[in-house]
Amino acid sequence: MKHLKYLLAGSLLLLSTLASAASLQLQLKSDPANPGHPTMGDWMHFNSVITNSGQQPIEGLVAWISLVQVTPGKEQPMDLEDWSAHKAVTGTALAPGASLQTQWPMRLIQSGDYRVVISTTDRNNKTVFTSPTLQFHVAQKPVVESTRILPVALGIPLLIGGLLGTQRFRHRHRSA
Amino acid sequence: MNASSLIATKERSALLQNQRGLAWLLAYAGILSAFALLLISNRELSLLDNAQVVYMMAGTVTAAGALIAVIMGSDAYAGERERGTLVPLLTAPISTGDLLMGKAIGLASAWGIMYLLSLPYLWAVGAGGQNLGQAIFYLGLFGTPVVLGFGYLAMALSARSGSVMSSLLTSLIILLFSASPLLIGPGLRNSAIGKALDAVNPFSGALNTYDAVIIDSDPFLSQLGRLVLVLLWLGIMFGVARLSARRPAFR
Amino acid sequence: MLIDANHLALTLDGNTILKDVSLHMDKGQIYGLLGPNGAGKSTTIALLLGLYRADKGHLMRFSEAETDLVSIRRRIGVMPEFAGFYEWMSAREYLIWYAGFYGGLQTPPDALLARVGLAQAGAKPISQFSRGMKQRLALARALVHGPELLILDEPTNGLDPRGRREIHDLLIELAQQEKVGILLCTHLLDDVERLCTRIGIIDKGQTVLEDDLDRLLHDAGRPRYRLHMTDVPTVQSLPPSVNLIDWDGSWYTVEIEPSQDAGIAQTWESLLSLGWSFDEIHREKDTLEARYLTLTGGERATSQEKAA
Repeated sequence: MKHLKYLLAGSLLLLSTLASAASLQLQLKSDPANPGHPTMGDWMHFNSVITNSGQQPIEGLVAWISLVQVTPGKEQPMDLEDWSAHKAVTGTALAPGASLQTQWPMRLIQSGDYRVVISTTDRNNKTVFTSPTLQFHVAQKPVVESTRILPVALGIPLLIGGLLGTQRFRHRHRSA
Repeated sequence: MNASSLIATKERSALLQNQRGLAWLLAYAGILSAFALLLISNRELSLLDNAQVVYMMAGTVTAAGALIAVIMGSDAYAGERERGTLVPLLTAPISTGDLLMGKAIGLASAWGIMYLLSLPYLWAVGAGGQNLGQAIFYLGLFGTPVVLGFGYLAMALSARSGSVMSSLLTSLIILLFSASPLLIGPGLRNSAIGKALDAVNPFSGALNTYDAVIIDSDPFLSQLGRLVLVLLWLGIMFGVARLSARRPAFR
Repeated sequence: MLIDANHLALTLDGNTILKDVSLHMDKGQIYGLLGPNGAGKSTTIALLLGLYRADKGHLMRFSEAETDLVSIRRRIGVMPEFAGFYEWMSAREYLIWYAGFYGGLQTPPDALLARVGLAQAGAKPISQFSRGMKQRLALARALVHGPELLILDEPTNGLDPRGRREIHDLLIELAQQEKVGILLCTHLLDDVERLCTRIGIIDKGQTVLEDDLDRLLHDAGRPRYRLHMTDVPTVQSLPPSVNLIDWDGSWYTVEIEPSQDAGIAQTWESLLSLGWSFDEIHREKDTLEARYLTLTGGERATSQEKAA
């Protein structure tokens, strides 16, 4: 009997905890319009759906995007500065059963293998929920082409230098 | 041709027909060429995003333009005084306001030439990427008031002091201080002091706009505050130049 | 009257530059403005041109109060002491450009250049001009619009004697035939005596003399002589016709009233009888210089040889 009492109390505690904890489901998909073989400079969009699957409304929801480089030997979290101006959604409320759809644009700054993930938490709970990750590869593209730069970088100073020389020559040979 | 146009014509010919003026243009083109060559010779830089490169080139054009504008502004009155050509202008039937206007138009023309010269460089580093058009447009819109504002500041100091050396040094110190965001990078700019300086510094205003519109593709409306900042800078510096040029040092 | 300036005073940055300057000149006059270095001559010119505004006094140019400086400057030609130009231009290009401020050249540029002795140099870049050529071009610049009043600051600096003579002739022609008033600011008393009809002397910011040169020289009084003494003379009990002005080492300057009957010879005899022993006598040919030295506290005007 004594054991049954403890079991009942434990079950009630577990149920109440489960009832009060937020329950979020996250989906993350690559936008169908994304390039099949993305290269540096391309834009990619990722669509997330965050659903409140619990019984309680969620206040102060924060969702953010993270990018991790997984290129062998270069594994590291990426600073999204320059990749995206849209890095988070903040202060959103989600009623039970409601969903939040978000599109995350991102411009591909560096070549390599990357994984993207969406994370969320909210004002009242300490739990962080994460979406499944999406992995993609960014092909390198030479952003600065020497075939264009060399003629300009050498040609314009030469042009002005030539003008300077011509002026000097004309200046010396002008007479009444 | 009115008096201001005559002065402006002379200023233009000083840039394009005088060896000193051509040497300044050569120095300007040299700075841009050095930066462009650095991009292809440095492996890390050459891996930068295309928009990042265009942003850096736009910043370099603004800085180099402001540098030449400061040199030209310092020479505007004090250089004429030192070469003995200011008194003939002051004794000609031309008001000090017209004289300043001619000098101001001359400086604007010089920046126009520098802006045109920068276009091949922007194309060379930015063609094939995105936001090259944005870069060219915003360089004109934000670079022009920043560059001319520094030129007019130097002109004011030049008229007041009558010394090229003194006005050039003072203007260069102010320019270096203002252009420090280009040197110190984003880390220090995120400090409280860095943010405060950014808010009032026209050079930062232009750079932040280049960053926002070239790299992040932000819309025009989000840049209105910074546009007001750089236009205010231009207006105030022109006003200061007008005050100083009323009684330029001529002896 | 071209210039009617009375009791002008000017303080700049707390320094009193002019205390009491007056200047009066008319059409066709060549006015010599004299004074030691720092006396205020250039500042006076700057005031006349409206580059400064007098704190006190009354100034009229062309019988007009200074209401519209731009239209007043249209009638004045100025040749500053330091003749600077845009050296990448040719002389012809420069004159055409500068005349634009006055609505264009009054005479063709080559004719103007020929008038100042630069007939062959019209297409030459100014950077290749000698100092004397630049002085000539500065004069041409001052003449581009046919001014009524010409203000020249040391116009013959850097010119050889022939060039100096040519400029003198041109100035005399301008004054006499075209009735241009010429204000000549110079250290060269030779130039003043040769050209000017009226002079004003400024010292320490105030006019100490202003008069017609003829009257001044007529009233200049007794001639002066410089004597080179072979011994130290006694200076007491000199004859009444002799007035000792100055001495500098063995050179003694005296002012002498010649005797109407016996002339100067009697005076020399009187001095010899007093024990004066001298082996050289120089007549001070320049009575203007003497007057200048007296009025300006002894600073000797620059000789042509030094100035050129």
